[in-house]
Amino acid sequence: MSGGHIDFNKTKSFLIDTTKCTGCRGCQVACKQWNQLKAEKTVFFSGEGYQNPPAMSEYTFTRIKFRDYQKHGQNEFAFYKEMCMHCNEPACASVCPVGAFKKTAEGPVVYDEKRCIGCRFCMVACPFGIPKYEWSKAFPLVRKCTGCYSRVKEGLQPACATACPTAITYGNRADMLQEAERRIKSRPDRYFQAIYGKEEAGGTSVLYLTHQPLDELGFKQVTKRPLPSYTWQALRLVPGIFLGVGGTLSAITWFQHRKERIRREEEFKNSRVKPEQKEEDQ
Amino acid sequence: MTAAKLVINEIKGYHRFIQLMIALTGVGALAALARFIFGLGVTTNLNDTYPWGLWISFDVVTSVPLAAGAFTIGVVAHVFHIKKLEPLVRPAIITGFLGYSLVCIGLLLDLGQPQRGINVLLYWNVHSPMFEVSMCIMAYTTVLTLEFLHPVAERFGWHLPLRLLRTLEIPFAILAAMISTLHQSTLGTFFLIAVDKLHNLWYNPLLPLQFWLSSIFTGLSIVIFEASLVHKYMGQPDESDLLATLTKIIPWVMGVYIAVKAYALAFLSHGPLFDRPVLLALFLVEMVIGVFVPFCMYLTNRIRTDKKLQLRAASFVLFGLVLNRFNVSMFGMEQAGQQIYVPSVIESLVTMGIISAHILFFVLIAKYFPIFEHHPEATDYTIPDHFRKLEKGSEGLKAAHEA
Repeated sequence: MSGGHIDFNKTKSFLIDTTKCTGCRGCQVACKQWNQLKAEKTVFFSGEGYQNPPAMSEYTFTRIKFRDYQKHGQNEFAFYKEMCMHCNEPACASVCPVGAFKKTAEGPVVYDEKRCIGCRFCMVACPFGIPKYEWSKAFPLVRKCTGCYSRVKEGLQPACATACPTAITYGNRADMLQEAERRIKSRPDRYFQAIYGKEEAGGTSVLYLTHQPLDELGFKQVTKRPLPSYTWQALRLVPGIFLGVGGTLSAITWFQHRKERIRREEEFKNSRVKPEQKEEDQ
Repeated sequence: MTAAKLVINEIKGYHRFIQLMIALTGVGALAALARFIFGLGVTTNLNDTYPWGLWISFDVVTSVPLAAGAFTIGVVAHVFHIKKLEPLVRPAIITGFLGYSLVCIGLLLDLGQPQRGINVLLYWNVHSPMFEVSMCIMAYTTVLTLEFLHPVAERFGWHLPLRLLRTLEIPFAILAAMISTLHQSTLGTFFLIAVDKLHNLWYNPLLPLQFWLSSIFTGLSIVIFEASLVHKYMGQPDESDLLATLTKIIPWVMGVYIAVKAYALAFLSHGPLFDRPVLLALFLVEMVIGVFVPFCMYLTNRIRTDKKLQLRAASFVLFGLVLNRFNVSMFGMEQAGQQIYVPSVIESLVTMGIISAHILFFVLIAKYFPIFEHHPEATDYTIPDHFRKLEKGSEGLKAAHEA
């Protein structure tokens, strides 16, 4: 689980202004370089649109999605950078039986591959479908965007944010939110009136600004409540239920056996010997 | 050499069906080996869209409630002290023991790093339903193993362990119910995190309660199912009089289950219920054939005496449970327009091997250990007050051994 109390105003966050993205995919390349990820052999147009590779995978932690649309009768592109959202209260961290995921105070949600047992619950739990698996291996591990924790820890910016010429701003979450709101207010015609990531999944360390409505760009509609709370509302009852069931069943056992014992004693008393007599003799 | 010959001769004497089970178990074991040699990606149809497939849906999520007979009948016979049901307890414990052992095997096959399974004990995360279920399954498998030692100790005449186990019979029954309540319900909690993935027909905050309730009536139904089949095919005595008692308990639990489910659907689910025709059909089949039909069967008077009806009602319940768990863990999780997951040949062979292994080991254990001879006429069930004192019990025991 997320360790201790993290001030989510101070966690480092990405502000990704998709209206400024040119689709150069410098972030994709920088990500592969910094994380030393293998290239994938892909065929163009094998996915939904122009984006390549067709999907995120164990070798691709971030990717620019292309969405084509028409503006004034002209074909236009909108872009959306897909990556780990680094949730404030990550579902992956809450469901992992060995606590391999952790929300760091700096912001990134990191994965400790030495702990992982490979149950893939994180993949089922993640509302954004981010953790990917090394399906090619006999003993696979989970792979996902690290938020460049190794760089952030040392005061650098993540590789993709460094490479991006236009769209990514990186800084404290409160500052990024303020900046996003300022942009929306000052250019209302340019921006769709929402910050994706402000409240999604209880708030994330990646914030998006768009021109198009969110669902048109392929943003998933996600609950506003932190996901761990959904399971915790049931799991918090566990100790009580455990002891409650034990106590109730013990009481029933005692009662049922007492009934039986009394019945047998009555039978015995009504029969021949008198055990009370015997005890007095002794 | 001679030992091998003995084994082969013994196997040659088995029924064809058992030989088939041995073959299927062998094939399953080979398929499981292939998973470790070639990896999960090649041998299964799992991918990043479907990280969980047949092995989780059947070998874990479905097998656990199917093995719930042990704790439910334990509670009914020992806690509520309905002594005449005693002959049903031991076969149920064997089923539970085999079921949970095979759940462990299934889980280890599905894990990417099975050799690190022990990490669950080293790094606790109490917020994880998977952590809770793993701990419970480990604990309960231990309890079931100890309970299984009962017939083993009887078979080999180990008196001291036998006395100890007899003394612990009731504490074990209570402990089994405590642990089972937790993990049966927590298997439902698994899917509470899939809030935007699992369809509203199944997603609601009461899912854990529904999983627990359905495990109870399924556990009792599987006792009926198993006793009927054992009577039919293994020449064991007809227990339908005892099963009649269970048919009186089951409809109460099913009634509560139906009420909880109706309440949850009506008031607690947020979102459209009828937007996916295929899922709606699956839901209706699950509820009508798997719940309402057997519920009505259990309510009739005929079922108290009619062996065939008992078996039929139990079978419907089992069908309904299997479909329910698949609906929650697989079908209901598939998004509209997504490619559909179909298990690979190797996944299917492994699961078939696990089912065959269960049947095979059950028959073999029944063949070599006193499972069904556990009748009130032959054995005395009073637990000795002290270890020294075994007045009535010792005679009963001797009789059981000589028999």
